[in-house]
Amino acid sequence: MKRKRYAIVFDTKKCLNCKACTVACKFENYVPVGDDSYRLWVTEMPLEGRFPVLRQEFRPSQCQHCENAPCEKVCPTGATFRTAEGVVLIDYDKCILCKACMAACPYDARFVSKKHDAVEKCTFCMHRVSEGREPACVETCPVRVREFGDLNDPDSTVSRLLNQRAYYQLKPEKNTRPRLFYLK
Amino acid sequence: MKENKKISRRKFLGLSAGAVAGLAFSPSIPTLFAASKKTYDYSILPAGKREYIASNCAMCVNKCGIIAEVVNGRLHKLNPNPEHIKSRGMLCAKGNAGAALPYSPDRLKTPLLRTGERGEGKWKEISWDEAFKYIAKNLADLKQKYENRSTVAFASTEGFQEEFYYYLVNSFGSLNTVRHTTLCLASNIQGWSSVFGVFPDADLLNAEYVIMLGADRAQSLITPDSVNFQRYKPEGQKLIVIDPRFTVTASKADRWYPIKPRTDQGFVLAMINVIIKEGLYNRQFVESYTHGFKDLEKMVQDYTPQWAEKKCEIPAAEIVKTAREFAAHAPRSVIYPGRRSSFYSHEVYVRRTFAILAAICGCWDTKGGVVPRSSIKLNTPEVSFPFFMQTRDRVDKESTDLLKDVVPSSVMCPMIGTGLPEDSCSFLSERDGSWLTFREAVLNDTPYPVKGFFCFKQNPMQSVPNTTKTIAMLKKMDFICVIDMQMSDTAWYADIVLPHTSYLEGWDPATGISGINPLVEFRQPVIKPLFDTKTMFEISGGIIREMLNIPSLWDDIEPDDLKNFKEDVVEGILNRPIQEYIKTQVSNYPGALEKLMNNGFFTVESKKPTYGATRTPGFRFKTKTGKIEILNERYKEFGLFPLPKYCEPKNFVQKSGTYRFLVGRTAWNTQTTTQNIPYLWEIEKENAVWINPGEAGKLGIVSGDYVWIKSRVGKQRIKALVTEKIRPDCVFYSNGWGRRSPWLSRVYKSGASEAEIIEDVLDSISGGTCLHETFVSITKA
Ligand code: SF4
Ligand code: SF4
Ligand code: SF4
Ligand code: SF4
Repeated sequence: MKRKRYAIVFDTKKCLNCKACTVACKFENYVPVGDDSYRLWVTEMPLEGRFPVLRQEFRPSQCQHCENAPCEKVCPTGATFRTAEGVVLIDYDKCILCKACMAACPYDARFVSKKHDAVEKCTFCMHRVSEGREPACVETCPVRVREFGDLNDPDSTVSRLLNQRAYYQLKPEKNTRPRLFYLK
Repeated sequence: MKENKKISRRKFLGLSAGAVAGLAFSPSIPTLFAASKKTYDYSILPAGKREYIASNCAMCVNKCGIIAEVVNGRLHKLNPNPEHIKSRGMLCAKGNAGAALPYSPDRLKTPLLRTGERGEGKWKEISWDEAFKYIAKNLADLKQKYENRSTVAFASTEGFQEEFYYYLVNSFGSLNTVRHTTLCLASNIQGWSSVFGVFPDADLLNAEYVIMLGADRAQSLITPDSVNFQRYKPEGQKLIVIDPRFTVTASKADRWYPIKPRTDQGFVLAMINVIIKEGLYNRQFVESYTHGFKDLEKMVQDYTPQWAEKKCEIPAAEIVKTAREFAAHAPRSVIYPGRRSSFYSHEVYVRRTFAILAAICGCWDTKGGVVPRSSIKLNTPEVSFPFFMQTRDRVDKESTDLLKDVVPSSVMCPMIGTGLPEDSCSFLSERDGSWLTFREAVLNDTPYPVKGFFCFKQNPMQSVPNTTKTIAMLKKMDFICVIDMQMSDTAWYADIVLPHTSYLEGWDPATGISGINPLVEFRQPVIKPLFDTKTMFEISGGIIREMLNIPSLWDDIEPDDLKNFKEDVVEGILNRPIQEYIKTQVSNYPGALEKLMNNGFFTVESKKPTYGATRTPGFRFKTKTGKIEILNERYKEFGLFPLPKYCEPKNFVQKSGTYRFLVGRTAWNTQTTTQNIPYLWEIEKENAVWINPGEAGKLGIVSGDYVWIKSRVGKQRIKALVTEKIRPDCVFYSNGWGRRSPWLSRVYKSGASEAEIIEDVLDSISGGTCLHETFVSITKA
């Protein structure tokens, strides 16, 4: 069996800024209420144009699951690591809360979890994925902004979308090689 | 908003690094990885029994499908039901946040009896037994004293348990009921029905061209439309959004027209003008199915795009373009009916005009047009209640000349009909009542005093415009009983408050949901009830059983009636488990009960969308002529103008320094019910008023400033959001803030309430409220 390469592809043009994904993630992953505790966020992009010709987009994001992950490199204990599928995870037992990873992450994807007494962030909902279920944020979205899947499977929705459509990634200059892709 | 949060997260890192690091070695709760790096243990749920139970959301009107994930009896998460044909696999922020509801420390946990003054917040916990006795006694006293059962009014909002609330209403015998409809979509229903006889749905899945006027489907979520309009948008479908605000829906549109508020009808009339003049309408459809086209043709002659440009402040050429495109794509063109239409005093005519545009282009009951809803009929037991002698007709029907106050001359449209306002509400739907008319009648004790008030999950203190009058109305009451899940602003002023079971802890009856794809839903408990709460089914049963112990409550009916009532209603239904009732309801569909239990809903094959049942020769529409009434014959009889003539108040000028106040929703709150839920509250902790930058500049206001917003009936303090997203002549904020109940701990007094500043203006045809007829001034606070 070919090894999987997990990724999320976003079609942000459809995003309603409804915040279903942010709330779903909190329940799914025991992320407590609090302004600094969140694994994903939906940014209101700046309003462009002048009345009455206006444009605005909404851009959800979360940990990019970088293939070249700065957070992993700086972690002194090996708490942050990448799985064979390329999912960047944290072993909470090994985290000493030095927060080097938080400073290193160009996407501000990490935060201190009161629940785990460790740094935490998006896990691609691997506990669901390993049971054949979709990540909570993917599943709950009214308009299906996110698709989750395996880049090594040419028939997966993520592969097809990336083949058919132009896309971009966040902060390419950081050379992090994210596993999050944004359709243009 | 999030950008700021991101910054604060960085700040957190900088400031507290040392302090928090000390926590690192305290024992951690379930770890993600106990196993070695090779075989990961991904589980995050506690070990034990995991269940998935299907039910339906009750956080708003939509009733989306949920699959509750329950671990060791505790609700972990609500997941969307991927197979649900209405919610189509989605669950919104509120739907997700519902998982916190049963565990909320702010929920009502036991019946409460007021011990201090009303609104003082002094309560005593009492047992259900005491509560039922107390209520039954008060009902008996009210009947005795006023010799009229309608002296007790019953407010409620839609929901599966509402049918059992009506068991209580009908067992007491009052005709005064008020529902949420006249605060929401009464005019929409009336307007479309006045043309087609029914209120249709839009077939967004098959439309090529969609015009939405004043509907924000991206934020004001309505399933399946909010899902369909982006997720299942057909290739090439065009969306035109017409709204004074650049809503999220507008940001998805091919074109957005920032229309001058109150002139939508003018835009559509000019479209009709172009379509008729250029012969673009559907001649064959018009001839076969409609009534009054010739009159319309004559009437719209003056409504040219140039005329409309002046009214709507949208270039004539754009109106012409929109008209031609709409006609070119017909019948796969939708002029979107939407939902809430409680906007303006002539709203019925606005909606009539929409419907007439659809009619002349033949966009009716055909793929991609507007389509009548179908429904699945249930075998719900028909129960008959006693006929009580001491029952008078509704107050909002009898009161006639009280309405000067709520139909001020500033919004009177002379052409709506000379018969008004004396006509009261011409087309009032019985159960719904008319909130404003009702309240006027109560305030004036006319035609008779209303002295008791029951309120089931409605919150008039926050939802009915002009709170001062609502307080005055409550003050008139000898007795107030509120049934809710939380201490609403209305409950705060009650004499007795009954805690309702959450939708996740109890059974709800099967209920048909009509639509292009109709379905039947129900609810089952996904967790055991956490507190001493009851459902309306149980509450009605409890009160009615106590009422039966008081002979004076039954002295104005035939003894036979009482006997039958006891047998059919009390013994037959209320004294038995509700599951038996549900079984009977679905008994005519084999396998339905299993489907409900396993999937939360069922549908029937024969109800798959079929188009065109009403487009057959000889079909009788539910109108006087049996045709699609462009000219409405009943309106003529009522002295209303039968055609969709443009309605505007005479000599109206907006005073300089005033703004038309607009109100609306966000995707993370439902009216006034959800703001206090922590998971939603953290998204928005108070509302903000949108002000156009040009105006804000004149007023010296920048985003984040606090301002006073003042109308004729009240004033509120609120944060400003200076944005190009709104026209200069209006301001906007979202509803459900500025709360008066201290038990809504997070949102008590934060932000601004719309009910406190919106003037009570009546749409006298449907009985609806007009939430956009208020002008406000703004000053820096
Ligand atoms: S986004 Fe940040 S936390 Fe996620 S893998 Fe990249 S560097 Fe690490
Ligand atoms: S994949 Fe899971 S953990 Fe990551 S943001 Fe989505 S819901 Fe949260
Ligand atoms: S759930 Fe979907 S539409 Fe809503 S904010 Fe998240 S990504 Fe956007
Ligand atoms: S739209 Fe949201 S709150 Fe309303 S029923 Fe659906 S999931 Fe629940």
